[in-house]
Amino acid sequence: MDPRAITAEPQARRPDTVPGLGRSLDSQEMVINMGPQHPSTHGVLRLELVVDGEIVVDVIPHIGYLHRCFEKHCEHMTSYQQVIPYADRLDYVAAMSNELGYVVGVERLLGIKVPERVEYIRVIMAEFSRIVSHLIAIGTYGMDIGAFTPFLYCMRDREHVLDIFERTCGARLLYNYMWVGGLSHDVPPDFQESVRRFCRYFKPNVKELNDLLSYNKIFVERTANVGVLPAAVAVNYAVSGPALRGSGVHWDLRRDDPYSIYDRFEFDIPVGLGLKGTVGDCWDRYMVRVHEMEQSVRIIEQAVEQLPPGDVQSAIPKRIRPNAGELYARTETPKGELGYYIVSDGTASPFRVKVKAPSFVNLSALPAMCRGAMISDVVAILGSIDIVLGEVDR
Amino acid sequence: MTNPATESAPDGAREPIKQAAAPTAAGKPAATGSTPTPGVSLAPQVRRKDLTFLQRIYIPEIVKGMVLTIKQVFRPKFTRQYPEERWDPPPSFRGRPVLVEENGVERCVACGLCARVCPALAIEMQAAETPLEKERYPERFEINMLRCIFCGFCEEACPEEAIVMSDEYELVFRNTEDAIYGKDKLLMSTDRLKTRLEFLRKAR
Ligand code: SF4
Ligand code: SF4
Repeated sequence: MDPRAITAEPQARRPDTVPGLGRSLDSQEMVINMGPQHPSTHGVLRLELVVDGEIVVDVIPHIGYLHRCFEKHCEHMTSYQQVIPYADRLDYVAAMSNELGYVVGVERLLGIKVPERVEYIRVIMAEFSRIVSHLIAIGTYGMDIGAFTPFLYCMRDREHVLDIFERTCGARLLYNYMWVGGLSHDVPPDFQESVRRFCRYFKPNVKELNDLLSYNKIFVERTANVGVLPAAVAVNYAVSGPALRGSGVHWDLRRDDPYSIYDRFEFDIPVGLGLKGTVGDCWDRYMVRVHEMEQSVRIIEQAVEQLPPGDVQSAIPKRIRPNAGELYARTETPKGELGYYIVSDGTASPFRVKVKAPSFVNLSALPAMCRGAMISDVVAILGSIDIVLGEVDR
Repeated sequence: MTNPATESAPDGAREPIKQAAAPTAAGKPAATGSTPTPGVSLAPQVRRKDLTFLQRIYIPEIVKGMVLTIKQVFRPKFTRQYPEERWDPPPSFRGRPVLVEENGVERCVACGLCARVCPALAIEMQAAETPLEKERYPERFEINMLRCIFCGFCEEACPEEAIVMSDEYELVFRNTEDAIYGKDKLLMSTDRLKTRLEFLRKAR
C-alpha cells in the first residue's frame, strides 16, 4: 500500500480548526513503525502508527511475517489425519482447541460418532488449553503494562497443565492428540487424580492473581476506559471470543451452537460489565478472561467426575474418505470463533481447508479501538485483544 | 447499556474517532495534553480522589507487597537448574524419532509407510535386499531433523515397530548437513528404548 494514501485519509477527517483556538494549534502528523520486533506486539506484527504528537490518529496493522501456507499445505497432505499437526500450529498456545475444531469438522463430514470417553477427554483438554491460553494472555498483558511478577505466576501455573498434557500425549506445546474419530493415546491411569489436584491448586491462585494484578491501582488506571469497543462496533467487525464478551455481548459458541458435549455441562458466560470504567474497555476484556478460567475449571471438574470408561481408539476409521461435500465447523477457542471450512472431493485428502481465525478478525478491530488513544495505550489495547500471530498469518 | 458510548454505537463503526476518544476525555485525564484532537475536550480535568486513607499513607500497601514476597521465599522452588539438573521425560514423551536396533540390525523392512505418512516429508530411504529373514532392509535411511515436527505419525504407522520416538530432546547441529540424521545416528538399541516400547505396547 502506498503510505501516502494512508496518511491522506485521517488528515481529511481532521477538522481544519480547533474550535475557539483557530489554526494556531494545528500540528503535523507523523508515521512511526511499531514492530515487527517490538516486544509488545506478541510476535511479528508491524503496526504503522499515524500519530499527532502523542495521540494516535490511525493504526494500520501489517501482517504476514509468519505466513506458512497452512491452507495450501492441507491440500497437499496424503490424508485428513496429517492436517492435525499443522492445525496445532495455528494458535500454538492453545493447540488442543485447534485440533478439536478440525476433528469435529471432519467427523461431521464423515458422519461418525465418537465414543463418550473420547468426548469427555476432549472437553477436558480443550478447557485446559483455554486456561493455558488465558494464563499466557493475562501474564503477558501484565508484562506489557509493566507488571512483571504476574507473568511468572501465570507461567508457573501453566507448567502444571503442560505436565498433564505431556504425561497424556507426550508433548508440551504441539500435541497431535485428537485424531479423527478418537485420540492418539488413552489418558494415564492417574489422570483423574492429577486433574483434581490441579483444580484444587488452581482455584486459590485466581484470587492471588486478582490481588496481584486485576484490582491493582496502576493496572486499573492503565486499562480502564482505554480502548473502548462498543458492542455494536464489535459485532460489526465480527469480533468474537473474550474481546466480544468484554463488550457485554452474551455470545459463546459452547452454549449458543453446542459442539462435542458442551450442552451437558453447567457454566456461566462472563461478560464485561464496566466495573472499573466503560463497558468494553481493556479491563473488561482482561477480566472476562480471568472469569473464563474459573468457568473452565468448573467444566473440567464436572467432566472429570463423569469420565466414563471405554476405548478411545475404537471409532478411528481405517480410511478417511468423506463423500464429496463441504462443511463449516465452528468452535469456541480461547481467542474466539475458530471456523474450518472443509471441502471434500471424495479423495483421501481435503480439497480445500479454509480457516476463519479469530485472532485475524479481532485484529481488524484494532484501528477502531486505537483512534484517539495515546501511543502507550496501543500496547494496552493490543494486549487486551490477545492475538497470536501464528493464527493471524496462518 | 446505559453508557452513552454504547448507545450511539452504530455510527461508531463509520466514525470511530469520536467513539474511541469520548471515554478518554471522560475518565482518563492523562489524555488531555496540549495537542488538540477531535473529540478530546480541552477543559481542565479534575482528578477523582478515590484512594482510601490507608492507601494514601502508602506504608500498609508496601507491607502487603512485602508479605507476599517473603512468603514466596519459603515456598518450594519451582524452577530447575537445567544443565546441571537433568529432566527425565515420562515414557509418553515424544523425543526425536529413532530406528530400533535388535541383535545388531535394524528392525526396519524398508516398507516406506513412515515416509508416506510423514506430514513434513522428513523421511527418505532406499531399500535393498538382505539374506536375513526379513528380506529387505533400508540401505540408506535419513530423517531430516530440520523438517521433523515430532508428530509421532511414523511411529504410529510402522507395522514392525521399527521406528519409535525416543526420550532424547537435546538436538544440536552446527550446520544443515549435520541435521540430516543417517542410520549411524538413528539406530538405538532395544535396551535404551525399553520404557518407550513397553509404553507403546500398553497404549496401542
Ligand atoms: S515424527 Fe512426524 S515429522 Fe518426524 S519423522 Fe516422524 S512422521 Fe515425520
Ligand atoms: S514404516 Fe517401519 S518398517 Fe516401514 S520403512 Fe518405516 S521404519 Fe521401516
